[in-house]
Amino acid sequence: MLWLCIQFPKLPLEALIRAQGRDTQPGILAVVEKQLVVQCSKTATDLGIEPGLSIATACALSADLQLLERDIQREQLQLERLAQWGYSFTPVVSPKAANTVENGSSDPACLNLELSGCLKANGGLRAFLDQLQNELGQMGISSVMGLGHSPSAARMLSQLSEHRQWLAETRVAPSPQQWKQWISFSPSKLLDCDNKTITKLYACGIKRVSQLLAIPLSEVGSRFGRPFVDYLARLNGSRQDPVPNFNPPARFDSELFFPDPLDNSEQLLFPAGRLIRELCQQLQRRQLYTQQLHWQLDYGQGKNKELIVEVSHPLLDPQRLIALTKLQFERVSLECPVQTLRLSSKQLQPLVEEEFGEDLFDTGNQGERSSQLLDKLKARLGHQAISGIALKESYLPEQAWQSADSLLIKTSSKKKTHQLTPIKAPRPSWLLPRPTKLLSRNQKLFHHSELQLLQGPERIDGYWWQHGRHGRDYYIAKDQDGSLCWIFQDLTTEEWFLHGIFS
Amino acid sequence: MAESVNSAENFFQNKQLKHQSERRNLEQILARTDIWQAANEQRRPLSGIPTGFRSLDAVLRGHGWPRNATTELLLNQTGIGEMTLLLPTLAQLTQAGQMVILVSPPFIPYAPALVQSGIQLENLLLIHPRGHKDTLWAVEQSLQSGSCSALLSWQGNHTLEDKELRRLQLAARNGECLHFHFRPISESQNPSPASLRLQLGSDGEQLAVNLLKQRGGTGGQSLHLARGANLIRRDRPIH
Repeated sequence: MLWLCIQFPKLPLEALIRAQGRDTQPGILAVVEKQLVVQCSKTATDLGIEPGLSIATACALSADLQLLERDIQREQLQLERLAQWGYSFTPVVSPKAANTVENGSSDPACLNLELSGCLKANGGLRAFLDQLQNELGQMGISSVMGLGHSPSAARMLSQLSEHRQWLAETRVAPSPQQWKQWISFSPSKLLDCDNKTITKLYACGIKRVSQLLAIPLSEVGSRFGRPFVDYLARLNGSRQDPVPNFNPPARFDSELFFPDPLDNSEQLLFPAGRLIRELCQQLQRRQLYTQQLHWQLDYGQGKNKELIVEVSHPLLDPQRLIALTKLQFERVSLECPVQTLRLSSKQLQPLVEEEFGEDLFDTGNQGERSSQLLDKLKARLGHQAISGIALKESYLPEQAWQSADSLLIKTSSKKKTHQLTPIKAPRPSWLLPRPTKLLSRNQKLFHHSELQLLQGPERIDGYWWQHGRHGRDYYIAKDQDGSLCWIFQDLTTEEWFLHGIFS
Repeated sequence: MAESVNSAENFFQNKQLKHQSERRNLEQILARTDIWQAANEQRRPLSGIPTGFRSLDAVLRGHGWPRNATTELLLNQTGIGEMTLLLPTLAQLTQAGQMVILVSPPFIPYAPALVQSGIQLENLLLIHPRGHKDTLWAVEQSLQSGSCSALLSWQGNHTLEDKELRRLQLAARNGECLHFHFRPISESQNPSPASLRLQLGSDGEQLAVNLLKQRGGTGGQSLHLARGANLIRRDRPIH
């Protein structure tokens, strides 16, 4: 096991500054929590402001000091994003949130990564560490790293400056002896325990961990309690050191903020493509797929517009998703300039191989192509423009069919649902949306020209048990041009209607 | 002396190369599907999709609807049996699990009648685009997609231009789709890129089919197809 602990000592400040925009030069800033300075920017440190001071003292040191309230929630979000970033390198990731002021010690937030399984894939220890440092730098997050054979050891060693120096140059992972040396060399104040225990340790004259390890464990236990003995065992690797594993949530959420709002929907396509690529990268890594892209165009002042792109087939290809999105964006007229573009996808589903259907052979291809077509049509024409038809059980001719969801096309091939059989009597292939009244004069019926009855009547008498009775006599009639019509006489009003055409 | 021999060799080589490249060009041209060669006419596969009407098949060049092409059906009134002409083909395609699309049909396709004629409703898709532009787009996309085996479209109020018809014909070829396009008879005066043009009319109780044009075959024939006996049977009048 090889654990890397990345600590983010400046996270409270950086989480807040990032939200304000990257270009602005940070002024004299201090993050405060419960009337105490938790963290301050470099310019503030130069003026003598340091964590632990009260607000009054800090303000006395600098009149221009800008105070920011600590935002634990935003820090947590940032840490989660960092954990997802770490997850792209190794599957074993464990984030640990920072302690708040009340808990006494102020441990920064940290991320534990297990590296032994992923070194080869990332080009060796040195290249990997450099890459991590680089990417963190690009994100604007300062970090401190430490390697160890257990998460506790890595966490402690990340605070040891000698170890950090070694880490900056090393090419290979250290031997077990080297771990032991570093651990025993560390000052006792680096131990991960509360201030009271550390004071007690120093009072006993134990300044280095080596001194502590020289004492028999049973005596340490009787003096400092069982949890402390446990911790020591985890530190030197004689006991398992479990950490909670990070499971990335099954959703995607990302947004882009435009300092100069965009007023043209075409301009939105480029940032949208960037978000989609981000999404596809994550989907690919985690072998998930999404059925819905939820776009939110934020105009500012609480106004926004939402667009939903539906994907019926698992797609990991960003180009196709961009094409679908483009179809939607083309139809949109922007009310105001867009300030923020946000892409979220709530339900990410695991990719099952059968569903993916990308077969070597042509069988899966047909279904995939038809669902692609459906997605495209839906994106441009809207949901309501596309439908299927299905049978329905009813006496009334106009209720013997129903409009079906177009999704039916895909699923039907797999499962046969209950089959309805239509009536045996002749039925027209076209049905009028609503029966049209026919002219009747001198016992003759007219629709364009005179109608001649061929067959009938076929009596359909439905809903006589209800208030609105439908009693009809249906006939097949032919007009002078040779068209065959399906007409009926209402039994209650004795009026004639055209209801269908035998086409 | 040696130089002149060299140059002569070069000359021959160049000529050979030129000849080869010309031949390759010719082969490339001949390999195109849209080049019609009289010499190959006999060898080319003549397989259309059976219409389900023997007398119609006999008149058509491929003994069926031309594959991957537009077929125009010109008619002025509905109810003369124009859908009956297509239903056997559509039934066959949907039963094979292929998708059939209707784009803005004039009335509601009545499910019980369609099932009676053997169509699998699960493979039937209706599209009702709004506006002329969207309609053309939807038709072209569906034809091109390669996932739809037949597409029926109705010319609405907007007359299609020659350019647009040609695009649809091309799309049908690229997507290997049967395209049936319904238009009024007045359009028969205008030329059309369609592979097959049929004028439909009614002759008493029969459907009169007049073959106006067929690519690579002869036109001008006319035939009569009887309508279903259960429809035109005359009952004893009771009125």
